[in-house]
Amino acid sequence: MTRPFPHLGDAVNDYHDTWLVIPVYNEGQVIADVVEQALKVFPNIVCVNDGSSDDSAERILGTGAHLVQHPVNLGQGAALQTGLAYALAQPGAEFFVTFDADGQHQTPDAETMVALLRSDAADVVLGSRFIEQTEQVPMLKRVVLRTAAAVSPTARRLKLTDSHNGLRSLNRKAASQLRITMNGMAHASEIVGLLAHSDLRVTEVPVDILYTDYSRAKGQSLLNGVNILFDISLRERGRR
Amino acid sequence: MKGTLLIQLILLLGAGSMLFLFIWRWHTAHTRAWKRIAFFVFVVANVYAVLRPDDVTWVAHHLGVGRGTDLVLYLLVVAVSFYALNTYMRFRSLEKQVTDLARAVALRDAMLLNSERLSSGQLSGGHLVTESLDPQAEVRSTASSSS
Repeated sequence: MTRPFPHLGDAVNDYHDTWLVIPVYNEGQVIADVVEQALKVFPNIVCVNDGSSDDSAERILGTGAHLVQHPVNLGQGAALQTGLAYALAQPGAEFFVTFDADGQHQTPDAETMVALLRSDAADVVLGSRFIEQTEQVPMLKRVVLRTAAAVSPTARRLKLTDSHNGLRSLNRKAASQLRITMNGMAHASEIVGLLAHSDLRVTEVPVDILYTDYSRAKGQSLLNGVNILFDISLRERGRR
Repeated sequence: MKGTLLIQLILLLGAGSMLFLFIWRWHTAHTRAWKRIAFFVFVVANVYAVLRPDDVTWVAHHLGVGRGTDLVLYLLVVAVSFYALNTYMRFRSLEKQVTDLARAVALRDAMLLNSERLSSGQLSGGHLVTESLDPQAEVRSTASSSS
């Protein structure tokens, strides 16, 4: 994508070098609003429609966001990797933010993260729900997520408090190193693992999560943790 | 007692080496050859066991298992888990191929789609696009709330 009036972009905001990557699976109800909100701050958004069976694709086409369509449903990890690949191919793209489609993330948090990357204080900034005000996370979920972070050796090594937050930002170096092979929900642990074994500088910032009824209903079930553990433990080792 | 431990050791070693083989180096040609040898041995052993069941019982006794059928059952458990793991790994590798293929298709289509969609006039900054679409977004949200 080429920008015909780069000077205009600078006047509106500084985010012409930043790409929001939003994996979308059956979010037709809310996706248009989420994208419109985010577009007010971030002009470059790529939505990866992961084989939704609802009208998500049409809703995205009605916005100013780029649309990438998986021909079949592959899972959120695969959608993230596709979105990053698309954004990396865009001229002038320097910073990449992964953002959830259900409206639980806030653009000001994303701005904070990009500012950190821009100041070159880190290569990767992850959002955490647990650095500050933890009351907003439902009790049971809090216990499980904290346990997940505590038992994961890689999360401990990076001193992370939250390994399963969808709001992350990466600079170009980090984004081009990332290879997500876990198609399903295990990608969150996989990303943390990849980061722990890289020489990238990783930091965490507190983020606000809006747990609406909609996102609560869509959120992954805690039982899915079993699937994640299984996938991670049987991952093919020594893959090139 | 000692015999029971022996059969347990054998079965556990079988399961352990299987896990090792399949998780660390299952896709190499080497492993594939071993899989075929194992299958061949399995078939020959089957035929032998059917023809001379008493021999199986004799082997079972020496391994500390009561009956020949029990020995066959235990070995079957190992064989089935071997098969299950093999299938799982096969699916993982197929899944990866499908993902790569779908991603290539998705990216190619998206380059075409978005360059047509977003480069024609609309694209003078995200702000303008957003504003021009705001009324539509309101219509949409009212439509979805009424349904």
